[in-house]
Formats: sequence, structure tokens, C-alpha cells
Amino acid sequence: MSARKADRIATFVFTLLGFISIGILLFIILEVLGRGLLTAINPKFFLGKPEAMNPGGGILPMIVSSLYLAVLTLIVALPISVGAAIYMAEFARKGRLVSSIRFSLDSLATLPSIVFGLFGMTLFVVYFRWGMALMAGAFTLALLNLPILLRSTEEAIKLVPQTYREASMSLGASRWTTIRQIVIPSAMPGIITATILPIGRIMGESAAIVLTVGTFIRNIPVNPFSMGAPLAGYIWFAQSEGLTPDYRKIVNGGAAFLLLLVLVVYFLARYAGRKYQEKKLMGARDGK
Amino acid sequence: MRESLARSLIKGDKEAYMKLLLLACASLSILGILLIFLFITRESIPAFVHIGFKNMFLSAHWSPITGHFGMVGFIVGTLFTTVIAIVISAPLGIGTALYIDQIAPEWLRTPVRRGVELLAGIPSIVIGWFGLITLVPIVARITNTSGYGILTASLVLVVMALPTITTLSAETLKSIPQELKEGSAAMGATRWQTMYRVMLPAAREGLMVATILGMGRAIGETMAVQMVIGGARQLTVNPFQPTSTLTTRILTEMGEATGDWRSALFAMALVLLLLSMILIISIRLVSRQRRVAA
Amino acid sequence: MRRLEPAARALVLILAVSLSAGFISSGCGGKSSGESGYSGTVNASGSTTVLPLALEAATEFMDANPRANVQVQGGGSSVGIAQLKQRIVQIALSSRELQPGENDGTFVDFRIAFDIIVIIVHPSVPINNLSYDAVKGIFTGKITNWKALGGPDRKIVVVVRDQASGTREVFDEKALGSTKEEPVESVDSAIELNSNGVVRETIAATRYSIGYLSYGYVDERVRPVSINGVAPTVENSSSGRYPIARYLHMFTRGQPSGAAKGYIDFVLSDQFQNGPVRREYIPVKKVQKR
Repeated sequence: MSARKADRIATFVFTLLGFISIGILLFIILEVLGRGLLTAINPKFFLGKPEAMNPGGGILPMIVSSLYLAVLTLIVALPISVGAAIYMAEFARKGRLVSSIRFSLDSLATLPSIVFGLFGMTLFVVYFRWGMALMAGAFTLALLNLPILLRSTEEAIKLVPQTYREASMSLGASRWTTIRQIVIPSAMPGIITATILPIGRIMGESAAIVLTVGTFIRNIPVNPFSMGAPLAGYIWFAQSEGLTPDYRKIVNGGAAFLLLLVLVVYFLARYAGRKYQEKKLMGARDGK
Repeated sequence: MRESLARSLIKGDKEAYMKLLLLACASLSILGILLIFLFITRESIPAFVHIGFKNMFLSAHWSPITGHFGMVGFIVGTLFTTVIAIVISAPLGIGTALYIDQIAPEWLRTPVRRGVELLAGIPSIVIGWFGLITLVPIVARITNTSGYGILTASLVLVVMALPTITTLSAETLKSIPQELKEGSAAMGATRWQTMYRVMLPAAREGLMVATILGMGRAIGETMAVQMVIGGARQLTVNPFQPTSTLTTRILTEMGEATGDWRSALFAMALVLLLLSMILIISIRLVSRQRRVAA
Repeated sequence: MRRLEPAARALVLILAVSLSAGFISSGCGGKSSGESGYSGTVNASGSTTVLPLALEAATEFMDANPRANVQVQGGGSSVGIAQLKQRIVQIALSSRELQPGENDGTFVDFRIAFDIIVIIVHPSVPINNLSYDAVKGIFTGKITNWKALGGPDRKIVVVVRDQASGTREVFDEKALGSTKEEPVESVDSAIELNSNGVVRETIAATRYSIGYLSYGYVDERVRPVSINGVAPTVENSSSGRYPIARYLHMFTRGQPSGAAKGYIDFVLSDQFQNGPVRREYIPVKKVQKR
């Protein structure tokens, strides 16, 4: 076979593979939205209360649970991630401790989410006696997302130009003051941008939360230590229990809504990321 | 460094306190993984004591109501679905990465990359539901079976592992020094020859890491697989037969299991933990090879 | 204060929306004061089979009695009964009878619904009646092909419920003869599904399949099968001729009082029995005394 022919075949094959990958994405989005979009955008659905046995249920407490859980998780996870990232970016030196930290982060990142769910259930739900609670899920998901949050935050901090730090220290500021007044504020836009994407991941998580947060509630949760029913977990519950006569419609609608939610968060994160990049470029240009 | 930190603390140096606090934050990751390991092990001890290693790991007879807790069937289920999924998604993912890096026209490059990222973000429950209402009927019609089973589960896992493999492979390919690629082209090589003779060898470790991480994704997936694999307790390697994986069994039974049964489920979690560790060590080994070679 | 970046703006937007949604919605539907009716908290837990009924009743009961608070959770019949014993809950939901040793003498049994387990097949299976032995043989894997029963030469696809299911428990006990001392396990190649709804969908879509469903779920897409010539009707079940049936229970310690009594009275009321109960089960009153 001539080199040219091989090249043409390879080009064709890889193009095909690329298109298959995108095709899979489009297929899924079209199927899920096709079946559920009409239900998802119906206010009676996304503003309604769920039904245990009757048709016509809604998913409002589920949506609120998902958002609430995301907020709680970030409240728990962000300070720790930022603190840890500052340490890793500013102070860490090659050594056994740092290697252990990296290894631990890699381990956490590879562990199946259901193992996190078991852990969260054992520690927070049973041992701490919180019962099924949004906070139990928040702590569990904080641990689960720690590796990714830490990595993005660390990158944002590392991107702060060294010259900022040097300038601050040369003016007599202590290391800590430099970090607090200069580095963190400079990195903040990057940190916030890096935080938006995990929100989507948190709302999409199901295995870890069905054991720690809950799968069905009638009313909107207010107390963070009460049970919740994040949308991802409720979808699984509804399709596995199949209790209401219209459960297929509800699951279709719920899945479509969740997909839309994730799409919105994704594009928001992309948009924010782009704006942040532009700002950085402009700032660099002005020699700030 | 640690002695000076201790000395600073004694001196009451505020900065030292801060450093310690930050170090504590970073160390929470170590604490986290240790706690997980501890708790899972502790909860699984009754199973090892009352049921025994042999009855759990050398038996495929899982029947809690008759007192049998052999999980080999589920270990095989986990491994088999993962292998099939990787066999499909690794070439697909690496091929897509090559497409993005080398073949795609400039205007398509970013959209395709973003598309793959988007695929990564789709919740597994949505993919599982898609599998249940779309894939299961298709597989059922083609194979004249119920549609649940290893094959359908593997297809779903392909969707989950693909973005990981693609994204990491694309990153690896991008990081190959431009001079290598240009040098090859300058010598008159076709694009395919460049890919085959220069890029793939150079990217070998990175692509292996990408594949291993894809495997990790597949092994750990619960929801999507649970909805399409059929939940049977049997050990089987027939792709059209229903079975279970470690993750799906834990999910479906944890709600009702008590006593030794519950402990056996935690033993399954321990197996999953072990599998994850094996993957991480594999990645470390592969990366170390690269450092040595460089 | 630095001008908020677009990224921060996006984050604040998400937080604001979620918090407002929470506050606004919790503001609505607040309990009005001065209403008559029961008050107090009732905790119930147990069977996931009874759970939807209990949840539905709780909702309607709380609507009528705004000062009452009925909390219902699942966990399984065994969990509910254990929690009743430990006084963690006042009501245990159960899809089975009490086992010896569970009742410490104080338990009161309220039967709240009657459930018939119907064996169903995909329409492609031309069989209307099975003997007990045939049923046991099929579900334990001893009979694997329909031709052994006079049907087509095709492998039998067996569908069962998950281990946590009360429906499965009754089926295993009454159709397979499984007991605590000598449990009988379904064949391990059986597809395990989590709910009546999904079982029905699967059997309706899978040729040569067989499974079981609660009475209220049977529809025209699946064919019910008689056992030993007895059809799974209300009459046959209440008279005992069709034995694969059971009551759904709510147990209490001693006679209930206050909101718990009100709640159980409501569950047994005609309004609830002829409404939600009838949709999937059989109202208790319709069943002759067994």
C-alpha cells in the first residue's frame, strides 16, 4: 500500500471516529430532549410538587435540593480547596508530605462515587447521627470534588505573575499579607470560574447522594440537616420505583431538565472563562 | 523546614499559624482517603470473620437469603464490562484525539473538543436513562433477547469513558513538541506516517494514562450501568445475558441489607478501592517509565 | 470593592436563584394558625411497597390537618418493625406478617390494603395456566425452555424483583415455598428489576418472558396466568383459593392515639381506600374475612 493511500485511509478513519464521538453526543442530547423537553419546560412540572402515587407530579423540591446541595458543597469545599491550593502553590516543597498529598488526591479522584456514598452514609448519616441530610451529601461531595477543585484553584493561583508577589514583598509585606491582599484577589476570578463547572458535576451526581441525602421529599427543604431529593437521585428513584402511572413522563422530563441545567452551567462556565481570559490579556497588555 | 515551623509556632509567629492552617487543609486529602479506607474496612470486617475470604472471593454463588455471598460473578461483571468498553472507547477516543489534533480543520477543532467536554458533563443518570429507553430496545431487537446485559452496559460505559480518554489523549498529543511533528513533515512524511512513526510513540505513555483513567471511570460507574445490565446474580461472559457489577450490586442491595449481608457489600466496596489503587499505581509506573526514558 | 467579574456575577446569579427559590417556596404553603384537627408529629417507616401509599396518605392527611406532621421513610419491612420496637417510629409499614419473635405482645396490626401477586407472561407465550410445580421449576431454573410445558421451543426469560422487594418476598414464600429455615432462591440468571412498573415494561417488551406483578399493575400488554386452574381474582384470593396474596400492614405499639390514630383512621377511611388504595391494590373492606 502506498504511503499516500494509507494516509487517505487513515484520514478517513479518524475523521469518522471524530464524527462518531460527536454523533454520540448529539444522539443523546436529541433523544433526551426530544422525549422530555416539553415536560421539562412546563411550569406545572418544574414548579410543581412531586406525587407519590398520582400522576401529574412536579420536581420543584428536587431542583431546589440540587441547587441547595451545590451551594452547601461549595461552602464546605471552597475554603478547604483554596487553603490547600495556596499551600500547594506557595509553600509546598518536594518531599514525602507533598507526594502523599498528591497521591491522596489522585486516589480520591479515581475512587468510584458509590464508595464515597458508602463512606458518607457510614460517617455522616449513621455515625454522626445526622440521618439522611443535605449536609451529609455536602460533605461527601466536597470530598469527592476536592481533587478537581484543588487542581483548578492551584492553577489559578499559579497563574498569578511572580512579579506581583515580588513587588509586594519588596515593599516589606509579609508572606501571608502578600497572599491575602495580592495573590488571592488576583486569582479570584480564575477561582470563581473554576468553581462554576463543578456545580454542574455536583448537580449531576447521583450514586453518592442516594445513600446520603435522600431520593424523595414532598416539600422544599429549608433546614440543611433535613433530607433532600436532588434531581439526579430523584430521577433514578422514579424510574426504579415506577410508582406513578406517568413515571416515564416524569423521568423523561426530569432527565431533560437536568440535561438543560448542566448545559446552562457548562456554557456559563465557558462564557465566564472566556471573559476572564480576555480580561487577563487586556490587563497584561496594559502592563498592570 | 518542619523544625523551623515548630520554632516559629512557639514564638507565636502569626505567619507560621497560617502556614499550618493551610497545610492542614492540604492534608485533609490524606485524611479523607485514609478515613474512607478505614471505614470501609471496618464495616467489612464482620464479613471476613463470619463469611470468610474463600466464600466471598472464590465463589460466584450470591444468594443472601440462603447465606451465600460469593461475589466472583460481580467481579467478573465489573472487569468484563470494563474491558469491552475500553476495547471500543480507547481506539475511538484516541482516534478522535488524533482527529482534533491533526486532521480537523481549524474551525472544527474547538467545537469538537468542546463537544467531547460537554459529553463528559452529562450526568450518568441521564446516560443511564438514555441507555434504558433507547439502547435496550435496540439491542433487544437486534439480538432477540431482553436487551439488558453486558453488551448494553458496555455501550453505556463507552459513553462515560470516551470523554476522559479523548480529552487526555488530545492534551498529550498537543504537548508533543512541534519540532518533532514539523521535522517529520519536512522529511516528506505523510500525515499518517507522522502520526504512526512519530506522534504515537512519543505520546505512548500519555495515551496509556488516558486509557487507564478511562478504565477507572468505567469500573467506578454505578447508575448508568445499573439501569441496563439486568441485575442478575449469575456469573456470565455472554454479552447478551444479564448480570451485575460490584457497583450495581452495592447500589441495589445496600438499602435493605443487614448484618453480614451488609458487611459483604462493604467488602465489595473494598474490592473497588483496591482496583482504584491498582489503577493509580499503574499510572505512576507508566509515568515513571516516561521520566526514565526522557 | 473590586468590580465583580462576569464569572463572579454568574456564580452570584446561581446562588441567588437557588436561595430565592428556596425562600419563596417555603414561604408559600405555610401552615395557617388556629386550624382544628390533629397535631403533633408521627414517624413511620418500613416497607418500600407500602411507602407510596403511606406518603400519599401523609400528604392528604397533613393537608386536612395542618398542625400534624407525618414523616414517612422507607428502609424495608424489617427495618420498620425493628424501629417500631426501638420506639424510633410510632408506625411500622409492613408488606408481610410479623415473624415469630418480632411481636413482643404489644403490637397492633392494621391491615390497610390487600395485594394479589399475579404471574404474567409476554403475549408470545401461549400458556394460560401453570401448575405450582411448573411455576417453581421455572423460577428456580429447573425448567428452562417453554417446550417442556407444551409451548414453543424457546428459552424462558425469567424476570424477578430485587432482594429488597416485599412483592418478591411474598412470591418467594407463597409461590416458591421459601421459608426462613429453607429459603428458595430464584434462578441466578433472572433479570432483577426494582419496581412493578419496570417489570411490566420489560415483560411487555420481551418475548418469552415471565414474571410477577401486583394486581393493580396488570394491563393489556401482558397476560396473567392462572395457577392450578385458579385465576388471580379478588374473589379467589380472598377465599384463599389463589394463595399468592398478602395484606399490607401498619403496625403500632398498643392502640394509637392522637395524630397517629388520626392518620391510621384516615388510611382506613373509605375516601382513601376507594381512592389511592384501589388504584393499585384492593381495599381491605372488599376482602372477605380470611
